[in-house]
Amino acid sequence: MQSGSSRRPGELVFAVVLLAFSLAAFWQAYEISGFSGLTTAGVFPMLASGTMVLAALVILMRTAGRRGSEGGAAALLGRFLREVTPLRHAAMLALILVYLVAMPWLGFTASSGCFLFVSFAYLWRRSFLVSLLLTAVSLGAIYVIFRVVFQVVLPQGSLLQGVF
Amino acid sequence: MTDALANLSISWFDPWLLFLTGAGTFAGIYVGAIPGLSVTMAVSILISFTFKWEVNEALALIAGIFMGGVYGGSRTAILLNIPGAPSAIATALEGYPMAQRGEAGEAIGLTTVMSVFGGFIGILALALFAPVISSFALQFNSRDYLLLGLIGILLVGTLSGESFARGVFAGALGVLIGMVGLDPMTAEGRFTFGSITLMGGIPYVAAMIGFFGVAEALVQLHSLHVPAIKQKVERIIPHPADVKRYFGLAMRASGIGTIIGALPGTGGDIAALLAYDHAKRSTKRPEVPFGQGCKEGLVAPEAANNAAVGGAFIPMLTLGIPGDAVTAVIIGALFIHGLKPGPLLLVETPHLFWFTVGNLVLANIFLLIFGLTGIRLFAKIVECPKAILFPLIVVLSAVGTYAIQNNPAHIYWMLGFGVVGYFMKIYGFQVGPVILGVILGPMMDANYRRAMIGAQSDIGLFLWDFVSHPISLVLTVFFIFMLLSQTPLGPWAKARLFAKRPDAAQV
Repeated sequence: MQSGSSRRPGELVFAVVLLAFSLAAFWQAYEISGFSGLTTAGVFPMLASGTMVLAALVILMRTAGRRGSEGGAAALLGRFLREVTPLRHAAMLALILVYLVAMPWLGFTASSGCFLFVSFAYLWRRSFLVSLLLTAVSLGAIYVIFRVVFQVVLPQGSLLQGVF
Repeated sequence: MTDALANLSISWFDPWLLFLTGAGTFAGIYVGAIPGLSVTMAVSILISFTFKWEVNEALALIAGIFMGGVYGGSRTAILLNIPGAPSAIATALEGYPMAQRGEAGEAIGLTTVMSVFGGFIGILALALFAPVISSFALQFNSRDYLLLGLIGILLVGTLSGESFARGVFAGALGVLIGMVGLDPMTAEGRFTFGSITLMGGIPYVAAMIGFFGVAEALVQLHSLHVPAIKQKVERIIPHPADVKRYFGLAMRASGIGTIIGALPGTGGDIAALLAYDHAKRSTKRPEVPFGQGCKEGLVAPEAANNAAVGGAFIPMLTLGIPGDAVTAVIIGALFIHGLKPGPLLLVETPHLFWFTVGNLVLANIFLLIFGLTGIRLFAKIVECPKAILFPLIVVLSAVGTYAIQNNPAHIYWMLGFGVVGYFMKIYGFQVGPVILGVILGPMMDANYRRAMIGAQSDIGLFLWDFVSHPISLVLTVFFIFMLLSQTPLGPWAKARLFAKRPDAAQV
């Protein structure tokens, strides 16, 4: 990504989240064995998370020092939605989530088929038949290559047991 | 010697292994060439399918994918001005202007020949120097490995990212992810939160595929509708006169590539840029000015980035330290196949070393064949809309992650890392150091504790050891130098030292 003198929308929040995460990680690392010795299981995790805390502090300070976006909170939110999570990303992430939730029920083949079809139709916007054909071809290729050639056992669904 | 030769040629005479190496090279070229599918992504997704295979078969495929992937990026760089991989950035600078003049075929032909040439130099270096470095590395102490790990992560973090702090953060985050699970020394749970799933640790392949596959795909989703440019391709076999003319340059570039590739933390991308820079300065009177389709500027980076493949295998196989993100992924795969990359690899399993060298040679030959053929078909494939690629990448990443241990939970990890990786990329973090951290973290942890136990938990003695042994001293000095070069002192010293290199910055 390009560097610039002004912050990207959401960058400051991200830096704060990183710092919070690092602090939580450090606390968890401390919980492992505390400061009871130099060769305990917790020392290296503490070193790693400690480094993260320091780095996150530097990042936060530098980010805060850079020029922020102009406009109020609403404008900033608008830019964040446009530049970082546009509708397309949000939609695809939601689709992926549904795909994941559906996989244990429908099994890999059926859920992947649905996922591929809906995302082709949404992203590519061709006719229904073209998307369907493309889904069939790519799913067939994936199945042959991975199940038949590479012998990968694909997840089976609980709903359609024995079918897919 | 005869043993070495016999092992070297195993895959040359076994039709199935021959086929796998060829198929790997082919897949590497085409996947690596599709913009948005980087070599690392190609390698991490494709390799995940080999985990159930025999070691030899997997190694054959991996060698092919790596060789092909590094080369593949140059094709789209020339045809579409989109480097398929970072190592092809310099190629795009000269290759695309050539394509605009209608010389795309010639550019691809020359690139292929020079890539193969560079590849051979790198492999030769691997065969000659790896055994030497390996026996030297046997004298390395645990603290030296700790230092090597730190240096490796820092190099990758600082050379490619937006800022030092971001590189350090990404590396440390990787180390932290690598710590999750039961501590191998004391069996205490670390960051497990009482969950049985977490006790086994977070599989690094899930992290790899998530950070490189899904995260990159999400970034690519921003440029979904950038149209591809159609190219016509004519003469492909390069003029023999050209090959002869650029031989010296290719030789020097390959040397640069091998050395850069062998250094931990630097891979094909930096090798290519340095070689391009070298070509720019050593060519006094180019036929065509640099930046407008100069063949010297095409030959040097391409020879260098493929030479870096052989070079990168040197630290990977002898020290167990990956040279860059791709080798980090490959090292992960080697561990899964039960190999232990490190100084003992050549002692315990020399046949695998020579087998790998043989595969690389073979992959390089396949590169020449596939590189000079099928370019017209290729021009069609790279026009494949991202709208089709994106869903496919998601599904492939899911199968790839699941295939490792047949554990659906890993798919969730993978996608979680994908989303985190997306935000990291958007805000200027590199994900390479994270993967390096995940893989090197446990090694560094174990070596740190061994060194500390050796020093009887005496911090003074522990630190004294870092400067009182020659190998450790050299590494410590290097490490401190690296840290210092990132403080305000660094740019000042650099400006004094490299005052005459204004062109290096814009490459």
